Amino acid sequence: MGTELCERMLSDLEKAKRPVLTATKCSLDNSQYSPKVGYLTPGNKKVSSELNVSSVKKMSRAIFMLEILLRNVEIANINTKRELYYVAKGLVKHETKLRPLDFQDQDESDSVIDFICEMMEAYREELNCVADDRGGQTYSKQLVVVETELDGTQSTIDLSTLGTAPYQPKNRPQNLTLRAKEKIDFCLIIESQGTANTLVANGFTKRHNSILIGAQGVPSNAVRAWVKRIQEQLRVPLFFFGDLDAYTMQNIYRTLRAGSAASLIRNSDFCAPEVKFLGVLPEDIAKYDLVDYPVKESDLQEARALKKARDALSNDPFFKDKRNKELRGILDWLVKNKRRCEQQSFISVDPRDPQMMEKIIIDKIKNGNYID
Amino acid sequence: MAKKQVKKVTKKLAAEVDASAEVISRVRKSAKQITTSSTAEYFAKNLQQVGFSSPVKAVLTTLKEALDNSLDACEDAGILPEIRLQVEKLGPGTLKNTDQIRIYVEDNGPGIDPDDVAKVFGEYLASSKFGRGRCSRGQQGIGISAATTWAMQTTATGARVVTKTKSARKAFTCVVDMDLKNNKGILRDKGTVEWSSPHGTSIEFKLDGRIQLNGEGGLLNYIRSTILLNPHMTLHYEISDVPSASVDRVVNTVPVVPQATEPHPHTMKLGEFMSHARLFGRMKTSVWLKRGFSRVTDKVLQDLVSQKGLKRKVLDSFVDSLPDDEFKALFSAIQAVDLLPPATTSVLSVGEDGLALSIRRIGDIDFFAVLSRKPVICDFKPLQVEVAIARLRERRGEDNEEQVQVLRFANRVPLQFDKASCAIVKAITSVNWRSYGLKQPKNGLPLGPYIVAVSVVSPFIKFKNASKETIDASDELVEELRRALMQTGQRLSRYLSREHKAGELEQRVQHIEQFGPILVETLGRILGASDERKQAATAGLARILEKDTKGIKKDLADAEGRLASYLEEKKSRLAGFFEGLDQDEQFTGTDAAAPAPVKPAAKSGKGKV
Repeated sequence: MGTELCERMLSDLEKAKRPVLTATKCSLDNSQYSPKVGYLTPGNKKVSSELNVSSVKKMSRAIFMLEILLRNVEIANINTKRELYYVAKGLVKHETKLRPLDFQDQDESDSVIDFICEMMEAYREELNCVADDRGGQTYSKQLVVVETELDGTQSTIDLSTLGTAPYQPKNRPQNLTLRAKEKIDFCLIIESQGTANTLVANGFTKRHNSILIGAQGVPSNAVRAWVKRIQEQLRVPLFFFGDLDAYTMQNIYRTLRAGSAASLIRNSDFCAPEVKFLGVLPEDIAKYDLVDYPVKESDLQEARALKKARDALSNDPFFKDKRNKELRGILDWLVKNKRRCEQQSFISVDPRDPQMMEKIIIDKIKNGNYID
Repeated sequence: MAKKQVKKVTKKLAAEVDASAEVISRVRKSAKQITTSSTAEYFAKNLQQVGFSSPVKAVLTTLKEALDNSLDACEDAGILPEIRLQVEKLGPGTLKNTDQIRIYVEDNGPGIDPDDVAKVFGEYLASSKFGRGRCSRGQQGIGISAATTWAMQTTATGARVVTKTKSARKAFTCVVDMDLKNNKGILRDKGTVEWSSPHGTSIEFKLDGRIQLNGEGGLLNYIRSTILLNPHMTLHYEISDVPSASVDRVVNTVPVVPQATEPHPHTMKLGEFMSHARLFGRMKTSVWLKRGFSRVTDKVLQDLVSQKGLKRKVLDSFVDSLPDDEFKALFSAIQAVDLLPPATTSVLSVGEDGLALSIRRIGDIDFFAVLSRKPVICDFKPLQVEVAIARLRERRGEDNEEQVQVLRFANRVPLQFDKASCAIVKAITSVNWRSYGLKQPKNGLPLGPYIVAVSVVSPFIKFKNASKETIDASDELVEELRRALMQTGQRLSRYLSREHKAGELEQRVQHIEQFGPILVETLGRILGASDERKQAATAGLARILEKDTKGIKKDLADAEGRLASYLEEKKSRLAGFFEGLDQDEQFTGTDAAAPAPVKPAAKSGKGKV
């Protein structure tokens, strides 16, 4: 794919024709959603970048970085974005002729890598460029993971042998095969890593045949692919448990379940459409007497999340779809009421009972108190 | 009981009487102490008000006053000024953190009658110019006497004066001391000496001060400013720690300071109006009004009677016997009647040619724009604004983010202190210089290696203080200054626009040269392409990018066309300036033009300098 692109460019240049690089437009206005597919898919819109005086620097940098990435794929070498930044800087410093390409900071080289991925419609991971392992720490007494390394070596990890320590899924979870030692009843993905730790420390995984994952905020590619892996290979019910606020609904849950507009081209491999929204739900506030409080509109981040929620209600195909009317209802409730409730509010229902959060979660799962 | 009460009240009253007596005695005593001080005593105690507020300012003010006097004297006598000045350190001063400084200024002016020397240098408010409404540098006769006072106070020496008039065979020399009590100059060590020139005056001060060369309040800035606004002056200067230099005149005509016009009635207050009448003795009021004021005509006199209800007999009466109430009626009527604004003939300008020629003397410049506005009436006073903007070649650099250097002038005298509150600076900061191609922070002075010189000339400049450091920023004046600056900015933008376009083209070409080969080389390496393919791709890339520079090339050609037509117009406007240029010195705004600035003085020196 990379060499094809280069061939096209060189051939155009030979004919004194401007090479045009085309990529799928990754934005909400080019996103489509079908409940049958289950995640956001790209529309027909494309963005083109033509070689001219203004873009010659960007294209030179892209081809320079592409050469490094293609070599990595060829020799089965993996680098993080940061490593690639330093590799590129080192080459530029070593070769005087390349000096004009120099990157001032990592953001510059990161955007070149993203540009290459969009052009080639490839995942970063496919080009052996991975992010640091972040999020997705997993606990279970029933789950066994078999990892196939690049050289074909296989390792088996029985999560029940890790005690209360978590298993950290890798950035390429596609290399992992999963199996259950005994029947797993459900998988719970928790927004906060800390809350997942607390539940495990209090014996959640001992009492319930389950998988517990800490998402650590907005799920990284690794977390998204890991949850998809669990959905596909174990066929267990998946639940997401997080805050009741606009940011969690749109940026965390929606991304986990249906992907994001920015990653339209890779949503198919990075979404788990079966993840259900366990809560916190608006009705939980009254039902469990949870502590909630108003959204601070003076807080820039919260105000931005509210604005984004309003936009989502009118433009996001996921929330506009009638199958998701209940999720849309929650977003609508959040925009109208401007209130929020943290996942940790389950603890304060009875602060003297360390298992209170666990009890409510199980109660909600048993009673079907979640949104499909 | 009643007796006791009476005693108590009596005691209290007695105490009060005693206290009152004491107060009365104190008042009487203090009344005896009220004395009248002379003007000299006042200024001697308040020298900070006239520019002697620090050792640095003392040196600068002394030099400035001496030089102003020399230039004014030369211009009054129609002589092209040739000035020699020296500023040197003699040793430590008596005041803390000062040096003893010798300041010497010599001119080729008409010389001073020995009988007037004491008045000129040793008496406050003795001036030939006070209140005459002319655009001379000096106005009140305070400055040079203050310098003498400072010299006396700090070094206990007066001012050494040598002066020769054309008719005298030898020069008269003396030391001027001041009798502060009586505001009188005292001459001592009188004598005569040989003087090589037919006429002229030199003055020498030894005073405590400190020499500051650089910065806005520095001596070099003062000299540079004086050179700019006096194209008809030749200057030789020697300053400690600075190479001596001579700057030749570039204009061979002496500016004629226009005679003052009669005052305009609308600029007067009642008291002034009545005092003005007394100067004319016995004269009919109507005649006095026509002779003593400008813009009062027969038609105006008719209007006073027919429109403003003034009694005819007031105009027919003798002005010296006009009762106060009739004076008041006359004053009110004349204030209400329509009059033409004051005449503008009393202002003096340097002229665009003179400024253009002079600006080359202050440094190595790339290009410049000059502008002389027509005289206008501002705050009911005649006034003319002139602006010169030049870019200094030696201070050019990619990262030059310093503020422009502002040179302010009032009646051709540089203003170097208290910049922020000056009308000129307020006007400069109010202009949007970005639209003319200069960088400018919000509400600030523009940035870059430029000199922005602004001159205000008027017989009645409203200074904010006695030391004449700042011009009062009235709305009308700031607006007039803004217009002048904007017009000059438009002229300057012709150069900058061409330069920006040329820079843009150069950047594009550079861009192509830098990245084109990298792109082709890398593609070739990835594909393992042959040299032929790479050469063909390089040629193809060059052709593609060549097309991209067409637009900017056209813009550049347009900007060059606009600059060329502006230069043609400038050549006709500044005929005198361009006649004096060599063929290769055409100031096209490119790096080709490099006029020679100040030339170093001959080693031998001349005369007493």
